[in-house]
Amino acid sequence: MGSDICKREPHTGGESSGPSRRVDLAAREATRVGMLMVAPAVIITAALVIYPLATGFETSLRSGDTAVGGQPRFVGLGNYGDVLSSSTGRDAIAHTLVYVALAVTLELALGLIVAVALHRVFRGRGIVLAILILPWALPSVVSGVLWRRVFDPDSGLLNSMLAQLHLVSHPHVWLASRGWALVFITLVHVWGVLPLVSLILIAGLQSIPDEVYSASAVDGATPLRQFRYITLPLLGPSIAVALTVGTVWAIKIFDEIYVLNGTALNTRSILMEVYNTTFVNADFVHGTAFAFILTVVTVLFAAIYAVALGRSRT
Amino acid sequence: MDRPEATRGGIVLEGVGKEFLGGVVAVRDLSLAVEPGEFVVLVGPSGCGKSTTLRIVAGLEAVTVGEVRIAGRVVTGLPPRHRNVAMVFQNYALYAHMTVRANIGFGLKMVGTPKRETRARVDQAADILGITNLLDRKPRQLSGGQRQRVAMGRAIVREPAAFLMDEPLSNLDAKLRVEMRAEITNVHRRIGAPTLYVTHDQTEAMTMGDRVAILRDGALEQIGTPLELYERPVNIFVAGFIGSPAMNLLPAKLDSSGDAWHASIGGFRLLIPPKARAALRPFAGREVLLGLRPEDFVSTDDVRDGKHGIIEATVQRAESLGSELLVYLSINDAAASRPLTVRLDRRTAMREGTPARIGVDLQRLYFFDSHSGAAIR
Amino acid sequence: MTRSPAAQLVRTVVISAIVLWSLAPIGIGVATSLSTQADVQEIPAHWLPHHATLDAYRSLLGGTGDSRAGGTVSESGAFAHAMWNSASITLMSTLAILCVAISAGYAFARLRFPGRGALFWAIVATIVVPVFTVVIALFGLMADAHLIDRKLGLVLVFVSTTTPLAMWLVCNYVKGLPAEPEEAALIDGCTRWQAFWHVVLPQMRSGIAALSAIVVLSVWGEFLIPLLLTSTSASKPVTVLIPEYVGKYTTNYPLLAAAGVLALLPPAVVALVLNRHIRGMLSGSS
Repeated sequence: MGSDICKREPHTGGESSGPSRRVDLAAREATRVGMLMVAPAVIITAALVIYPLATGFETSLRSGDTAVGGQPRFVGLGNYGDVLSSSTGRDAIAHTLVYVALAVTLELALGLIVAVALHRVFRGRGIVLAILILPWALPSVVSGVLWRRVFDPDSGLLNSMLAQLHLVSHPHVWLASRGWALVFITLVHVWGVLPLVSLILIAGLQSIPDEVYSASAVDGATPLRQFRYITLPLLGPSIAVALTVGTVWAIKIFDEIYVLNGTALNTRSILMEVYNTTFVNADFVHGTAFAFILTVVTVLFAAIYAVALGRSRT
Repeated sequence: MDRPEATRGGIVLEGVGKEFLGGVVAVRDLSLAVEPGEFVVLVGPSGCGKSTTLRIVAGLEAVTVGEVRIAGRVVTGLPPRHRNVAMVFQNYALYAHMTVRANIGFGLKMVGTPKRETRARVDQAADILGITNLLDRKPRQLSGGQRQRVAMGRAIVREPAAFLMDEPLSNLDAKLRVEMRAEITNVHRRIGAPTLYVTHDQTEAMTMGDRVAILRDGALEQIGTPLELYERPVNIFVAGFIGSPAMNLLPAKLDSSGDAWHASIGGFRLLIPPKARAALRPFAGREVLLGLRPEDFVSTDDVRDGKHGIIEATVQRAESLGSELLVYLSINDAAASRPLTVRLDRRTAMREGTPARIGVDLQRLYFFDSHSGAAIR
Repeated sequence: MTRSPAAQLVRTVVISAIVLWSLAPIGIGVATSLSTQADVQEIPAHWLPHHATLDAYRSLLGGTGDSRAGGTVSESGAFAHAMWNSASITLMSTLAILCVAISAGYAFARLRFPGRGALFWAIVATIVVPVFTVVIALFGLMADAHLIDRKLGLVLVFVSTTTPLAMWLVCNYVKGLPAEPEEAALIDGCTRWQAFWHVVLPQMRSGIAALSAIVVLSVWGEFLIPLLLTSTSASKPVTVLIPEYVGKYTTNYPLLAAAGVLALLPPAVVALVLNRHIRGMLSGSS
């Protein structure tokens, strides 16, 4: 700032400081302290998130073979085209869409049931809520491991149970069939995310004043109609947040797949395909390109929800 | 207690203006001086800029234009800590994690006062406010009134050059509010630092302020002693704001026939006392707003010739407040759409729906320009 | 709302189902971890072991048990070391994230300075970028700086990927706190920094507890990042070690379950102890 001429010590009596002290020391202090306090976050984000993203994006636009000597050839969006036209890539995208659709639907449906059941006060509610949180607290690797025995084809609990109920005649290799594998992996994923979605919806329900229900009950609304015409519309913003959280988490599903089914082709998600391309096949450029595709898809979903959220709040 | 700074000067605002981001003007060209030892109340409807003004004095908001001086020193642009002011907030703003003693002593600790002196001064402040037995408690263990006292204690212990209070009583119940009103006045007399007190409650303003400043839309409408504001309001806003129930404002026509001047409203005429005529001369034959305070009426039995004018009207509603009777009258005049509010002796007999004859004190008529709203005098 | 007995019954059933659904996998895990390999290979399967035994835990922690049962390898001491790695990485990351996020979140919420809006949104926007996209790009830089397979490298990555979300949570939380105590402190003679330190931080206690819990849980549970950035027991956390116990043909389920149970204990304890604060913050952020 170039206004040092009028810099004045705060305590200089001030017999005739003049009517226009142009320096706002209070604002200057807020600026100095504010910038200092945000500096670490800004530097870290710039150096370790934004800069790598920029260089990563640059990498994704070049060819992978450095054999030509020096700088790898610029190929534009060529790598993106390769990835999108490969069959494993397209399968991965399809699987991911199934994961997202299944997971979000389940989370929302179950989350609403949980929220309606738990948002009112009852004896032991604190304990139930504490238990509800647990699955979310567990590492997804651990929950995958815990569920693994359920789906094991030989000694698994699911096969065993179904056999005892005479629903299957021979053990089913659940994770080898594409349909069942996607469903069960989603189920394990939902187990871990449902607590978060439920808590968001519970908070939404609690923000709806009781008088609204009393008023509508006086008007003769049945509980089901109340849910349809009062709860759901007023819950709009919370549902949008829950959808965002559910989608963003499902779109990058990885841990559960890795633990339950490894890199098997029938369950590969986009992130699993990115992992496989980059670190198993050591193909950085295509891996990075695919990672950016995942980023764009995520941002698109987030933007759609943000718009929906903005609309439901007005 | 020796307080050199407090005697050097009060709180002075000169041409202060505040425009928020987005162009909302909260305060416009406000000039105001609180003399040393004086208690000035800023009052006005919500959104009139009174709290912003106080925060500007405290240094919590920056001015857009103008200057603020405290104890003779220009403090515009200084952070709050360099202004040597103390402030009591509406919600008390106590430090929830500290004991009462630590709350009161926090400001002294921040300026490096020796521990023993801090202790002594906190004890003294607590003694003044009668909260010595609460010193080891945490704020959440206190009642509203007790919190209020702690907030006061935190302010007085620092012996500041100026006292700022932002609606400090509005979170208390009615009874406690009356008690604390007296208490704050007493503490102020004892401490003597210039005080700027913000409220939306005109009763607080009238009972506590040495002078009262009335703000509307960020601008100062009038400043004066409570009596001045009551008796000589500069315009219909001040006239309507001060006094409860509010002053009646009726469109009236000025008839001058020789020496007898009358204000005529519908079917009846009120004789204007001679001393008011000079100012009213330019309005002769025109319409003005006539102001009548509800408390300036008397029932028929008490009417005295020459002192009172007579108004005939229909009783719409009569409300007994125990100590007095509030009567709402409809005048037989289309121009007076609102009923006339009248405060009468509690024993007056008034039947709803019946005609009534009441007297009004002719010495206490207020006249306002019906276009500008300014007082005519 | 008036409730009929039928509605009451439905609610009780639903609540029981929620509890069962949340606890069942953990229960199965505990039961499995107390079984022998013979128990779990029995067909039809048994939910509970015939004789509860701590063998799996012993072999896991390098005691007497048979560490090569079922064809999986458990190096003696490797698990304990991985737990230690997880704990130290989580602790360091959490401390760093808290410092950076609280200071920035507070400043963005309460202080006015040039560039505030732009910087805030630049940081918050990175929340939606999948962590993997960042890590893949960071990998080369980390390799150049010799930070692969080192705890410090992991901590750096966790700090950079978790700070934006943590900061955003803090910012929302601070905006929900009353500003007056802080203003009172400024008038009482504090500098901005002193007011933050003496008044705002103590005011934020519950939020900080919740934030610590959320950060601890997410760092402890992180799998993909350490999978890429660690290779030896020098830095490998427990989440990366556990999948290695999965055998190619048969799996030593008791051992795997015991590892899972031990790895879930710290986050479970954190979640249970701080669950009230966590719920407060999560509901505040929506």
